[in-house]
Amino acid sequence: MARRPSVRTPASASDDTLRLAPGTSGGAARRETVMTVAIEYLQFVLAPQMLNGLTIGVAVVLVALGLSIIFGLLDVVNMAHGEFYALGAFISMSLYSLGVSFWLALVLVPPIVIPIGFLIERGLIQRVYQHDQRHVLTLLLTVGLSIIMEDAFDLIYGPNTMRPENPLPGSTEFLGVILPNYRLFLLAVGVATILATWLVIYRTRLGAMIRAAAFDKHMTASLGVPVLRVYAGTFAFGVALAGFAGVLLAPIYSVFPTMGHDFVLLAFTAVIVGGIGSFYGAVIAGLLLAQIQAISSLYIPPYWSDPLLFAIMVAVLVVRPQGLFNWMGKG
Amino acid sequence: MHPANTVVSPAAPAPARRRLGVQHLVIAFPVLSLTFASIGAVLGETFYLRLATEALILAGLALSVDILLGYTGLLSLGQALYFGLGAYTAAYLLGQGAVGFWGALLSSLALATPVALLAGLVAIRSKGVYFILITFGLAQVAAKTIYNTRELGGSDGLVGVPVLQADFGLFRVDLGSPVEFFLLMLALIMGLYLGLNYLMHTPFGRTLVAIRSNEHRVRFLGFDPWRYKLAAYAVAANVAALSGAMYPMLRGFVSPELLYFKMSADAVITVIFGGVGTLIGPIYGSVALVGLRTVLGSWTEHYHMIIGALFMLAVIFMPRGIAGLFERKESGPAQDEAERT
Amino acid sequence: MTNKLKKVGAVLSVLLPMAAAGQAAAQSNNPITIGVLTPLSGTYAPIGQQVKWGTELAVKEINAAGGINGRPIRLVFEDEEANPSVATRKAEKLFQSDKVDFLTGVVNSGATIAVGQVAERNDRLMATTVSLSDAITGARCSPNVFRVNAPGGMQALGLAAWIKQTNPEARVFAIGPDYEMGRNTVDGFVKQAKELDLNVVGQVFAPLGEKDYTPYFGQIRQARPDVLYTSTAGNDTVRLFTQLQEYGLRERLTIVGASVAVTAQNIGAIGAAAEGFVTVAGYSPDIDTPENKKFVADFREAYNADPDLYGADSYGLIYLYKAAVEKAGTTETAELRKTLRGFTWQTPQGPKSIRAGDHQAVMNVYVLEVRNGRFTIKESIDGQTAIGPDTCERF
Repeated sequence: MARRPSVRTPASASDDTLRLAPGTSGGAARRETVMTVAIEYLQFVLAPQMLNGLTIGVAVVLVALGLSIIFGLLDVVNMAHGEFYALGAFISMSLYSLGVSFWLALVLVPPIVIPIGFLIERGLIQRVYQHDQRHVLTLLLTVGLSIIMEDAFDLIYGPNTMRPENPLPGSTEFLGVILPNYRLFLLAVGVATILATWLVIYRTRLGAMIRAAAFDKHMTASLGVPVLRVYAGTFAFGVALAGFAGVLLAPIYSVFPTMGHDFVLLAFTAVIVGGIGSFYGAVIAGLLLAQIQAISSLYIPPYWSDPLLFAIMVAVLVVRPQGLFNWMGKG
Repeated sequence: MHPANTVVSPAAPAPARRRLGVQHLVIAFPVLSLTFASIGAVLGETFYLRLATEALILAGLALSVDILLGYTGLLSLGQALYFGLGAYTAAYLLGQGAVGFWGALLSSLALATPVALLAGLVAIRSKGVYFILITFGLAQVAAKTIYNTRELGGSDGLVGVPVLQADFGLFRVDLGSPVEFFLLMLALIMGLYLGLNYLMHTPFGRTLVAIRSNEHRVRFLGFDPWRYKLAAYAVAANVAALSGAMYPMLRGFVSPELLYFKMSADAVITVIFGGVGTLIGPIYGSVALVGLRTVLGSWTEHYHMIIGALFMLAVIFMPRGIAGLFERKESGPAQDEAERT
Repeated sequence: MTNKLKKVGAVLSVLLPMAAAGQAAAQSNNPITIGVLTPLSGTYAPIGQQVKWGTELAVKEINAAGGINGRPIRLVFEDEEANPSVATRKAEKLFQSDKVDFLTGVVNSGATIAVGQVAERNDRLMATTVSLSDAITGARCSPNVFRVNAPGGMQALGLAAWIKQTNPEARVFAIGPDYEMGRNTVDGFVKQAKELDLNVVGQVFAPLGEKDYTPYFGQIRQARPDVLYTSTAGNDTVRLFTQLQEYGLRERLTIVGASVAVTAQNIGAIGAAAEGFVTVAGYSPDIDTPENKKFVADFREAYNADPDLYGADSYGLIYLYKAAVEKAGTTETAELRKTLRGFTWQTPQGPKSIRAGDHQAVMNVYVLEVRNGRFTIKESIDGQTAIGPDTCERF
């Protein structure tokens, strides 16, 4: 029977997190104890943590991708991006109440979010493009938009928390590590979506137009590409990605009006660390940061995780402001 | 008649005009406020006077945002950090009974400058959007830290700030009296306005405006933009901290909400409503927002949506704000930039 | 010129007596105004809704029976927005513009403390029917603040006692949100549990608003607890419970927690994972007394919903105010305060009395368990046992 490490009971109530100390009791078979402890640690703590980090990372990537694309191509800081993530989740809740199944909702929500995003970009955000202060103004517009959206969710859906039932309950055990089925599904869908996005951007004509417009909009326009429509479409696509993430995560993270704040810091940090407008940057930074957050929560008090992320963001900005990777237009 | 450095600075102050100009706004404000105060005093009104005083305190924060946005071209989404810093410093020291009115103000300023320089060192290096995100993040992190610090009251904040007497030597102001506090705050805000306005017309201020228009050119002319931006950031931080210190004197408490994004965003909203780069505009904007909130809030709980929508409309259709309606061709730094490009 | 003066004089001589008469008329119909400052929007709106209903029902009944000493009660509502800055601003409005005689409804503990200060400055009394922080009648007590609901400390005591009674050998693990209130609640519970010699095997804190609790499951799993105590609230509870279920940990645990952990706001979203959750609260609609049955029936008829502890305590408070004012013969602050200290009155859940030393109401509390999506009573605990010591030193 493997020895279980004894858990140190906190001596005083002010101990923060429970830090795991390998159990000790002196004597023989010390090497075996350390080995067992290490394996158990891996099994119970580290591996699940890393898998979890991976799952969250994929979700972060979906949100950060949209943000990065919008940022990189349109030069718009979408402060309302979190609200579009929430929008996807809320729309799915409405669909469920109409009897639509989870699987159908997954497919239906992005096409619903796309025209909304398109209209918002075309009708509101593009109005200030010609202004000399456009960076500030577009940012402020999205701030105003986020205020409206959040209050609208509260008004339409009420402040109570909602949650769709987990469509894939149960878990699989693999080498002693428990993996909930839904999270495996999430991982699979997330990766598939990221790959699909990559295909669209790098292997289709539409993607080429987007990249061209990012690189030089005047030249692209003179080649007959409807640049303004490409902008609106790209914005729509970016927020649809976020909305899709909202649908995916709703069964495990639940739905409520302020849920847009959940991913904001992580997403923005991933975009900056990865490089604005960089596809690979968003993916790698998103996964990396989620892992860092997951593993660090084992060793430092939880409320330091936000400052930690922020410190990473600042460090990158100081050392390599353009982020880890190059901009999509060039890359 | 124009000094040699006009090459990098905007036009001289606007000549007197018969139509309404920004200078009329400047005069109108104290006049309107004094009228308001007299009516309030006669009626023995307390609530609205104190609400107006709070609007003036928030106007200070708005001024701080305008220094950076309207003159230096930096959008800070985290000025609430300094406001909160000033507020907490004052509240903490006053609560302990360690200082009086002047001590509280000075301590807040004493803390604001080093923090601003430290934060500025990191933030100012970054261009455009990155600066915005760093200021945003700084305020969030500070808010979270205070939220989790028991000695600073944690999530409940600090209460028990006593009602003060402000000693000016020749006379005393009783901060418990709504009229007196209002008048003090009015004097403070107008004083800040005049001081900042003057500052913006000095070579220092004009360099800031130049940096906002075109930083590269400024560098070629031998100025180091970095120093100027950092100085502006420190000035703005001090203005915010000063206003923040007044808050616990009015309300008797502070809480972490004072550092939240909402606070910073509100300040930016008032600057846009009022008129970027005019200094007087944000003061009006602040009063307008408080008034709007109170009125709308009594009709519906979902007034945030309405304010958000008004804000978006203002950004699209009225980016120069209320003061922009009064601006004529000569005044306003951004106008000159447009003319030059 | 003199003609004008004469005209003005004539008009005034007609108007002034009318105004005086109007004034007198208003006096005779002089209502007692109670301000209700409660969250009408946002996450805590469901609590505010119950507070509103409870106070309204009581006022309706009292006014129909002739009011307080012949004077009707008038309620004025304002939205607290669960934000102390907004709450103090609105409290000032209620005291100074609306001239309320008394104030209640505040939910957020920080707001209660701040508004208490405003009440002191305006020489008025206020009472909370929801706020849990022990400090309100403890370290930060105020001579103008009263509390009629059971504070966090009482709940902790009750829960520890219940665990000791039903499963004394249980391994207990505690989890809470990592901010002051969350830590206080967990610390309070752990302290009580240890005093009763329970086997506390660990505790952990997660950031407030944490969306993913799985990082903590490794530690929880290693501690192999039988009982999990939580002081999370709202969305955090939803995520904790459902994620425990996701990972197959939920079945092995009995989860207990503070009364804020599972409420009408989130029980729907938690779903099946909420089954068997145990908490301690000062009220349950199932309390089997004739007064409570009538109260619940009236409440249901008026609002098509069951009263919860917030509704019941708010209802009870209005009756407290009525009884105290009638006994004191006035709404004047100093007199009323004197009367309230040590005062006993009837509520749907039985008699309560206000402890003079800290203005905290003493009442029986109930151990409640979630069965089929609603709370049922398991047993009751005597108020005197559960109340804890008077730690208020200000008066």
